[in-house]
Amino acid sequence: MSRVGGEPAKAAPSGPVGPGAGAEPSDLDLVRGIKAGDEGAFEKMVQRYHTRVYSLSYGVLRNAEDAEEATQDTFLTLYRKIGTFDESKKFFSWFYRVALNQAYSRARRRRPALTVPIDDYLPKFASDGHLASADFSDWSPSIEDDAIARELAGRAGEFISELSPAYRDAIWMYDVEGMSTADVAETLEISIPALKSRLHRARLYVRERLSAISKLPAPDGAPK
Amino acid sequence: MSDWTCKQVILDLLIEYEDGEMESQERVLFERHIEMCPPCVHFLTTYRATGRTLKLLKPEEIPADLAQSVLAFVRARAGRKA
Repeated sequence: MSRVGGEPAKAAPSGPVGPGAGAEPSDLDLVRGIKAGDEGAFEKMVQRYHTRVYSLSYGVLRNAEDAEEATQDTFLTLYRKIGTFDESKKFFSWFYRVALNQAYSRARRRRPALTVPIDDYLPKFASDGHLASADFSDWSPSIEDDAIARELAGRAGEFISELSPAYRDAIWMYDVEGMSTADVAETLEISIPALKSRLHRARLYVRERLSAISKLPAPDGAPK
Repeated sequence: MSDWTCKQVILDLLIEYEDGEMESQERVLFERHIEMCPPCVHFLTTYRATGRTLKLLKPEEIPADLAQSVLAFVRARAGRKA
């Protein structure tokens, strides 16, 4: 086993022609190579993105074997469907959606799809606009314990998988995968303000669900 | 406490504050509300803890031979050498 690295290797900027001698090919260079039947281009694409796809798949599926199979399926889809990729778009945005769909498709086969209405899990406020008493619990110290933190992360993953794709994909890409707002917005084909709105609501939802399973008594002096 | 309600702070302003994109005057008002409002302190703490928890969804390790297994899988399924 090897450690998962940070960002994938940076490719050279996309250009209308292949890379010069010694330069790393861009994603677009590799896409064109794969379309032309260049087996080496496909191998390079696998080398460039397999850890990223596995990481994403693992986050959705929470199981190493399923994550490996989802990664294989994702690259098979890439190989078969590369002809449908619009070269005016950013490759990774397209490929990320392919990977995400593969992982969630596998997750749905494992358990029935269930989409929850996000509004049911947003924080509750009194009529004067102040937080209702149920929101006083602070479970954050419990994540200092690594085992508890990982258990909560697993539950958070389950909660996210119950969201509609609009919210699910936003929180995965930004909070779990650490993509930039610009890249996520481009992948989802929405504006940055719209992304932030989705992201915030998805975070509020996950916080609420985690709070519900970590409920502690209200602190002294808090309204009951 | 500022004139803002918890509802405004949490639903409308929190993400701007956390992104560091809030203007300084608004930031002062936001922080004044938080300082005077224990429920919002707890809310902010757990909101941030949620973000830290989500980072744990990434695997610590990947299979060492993953790239080779992907290539073998695609070659077998694609019907020709990939």
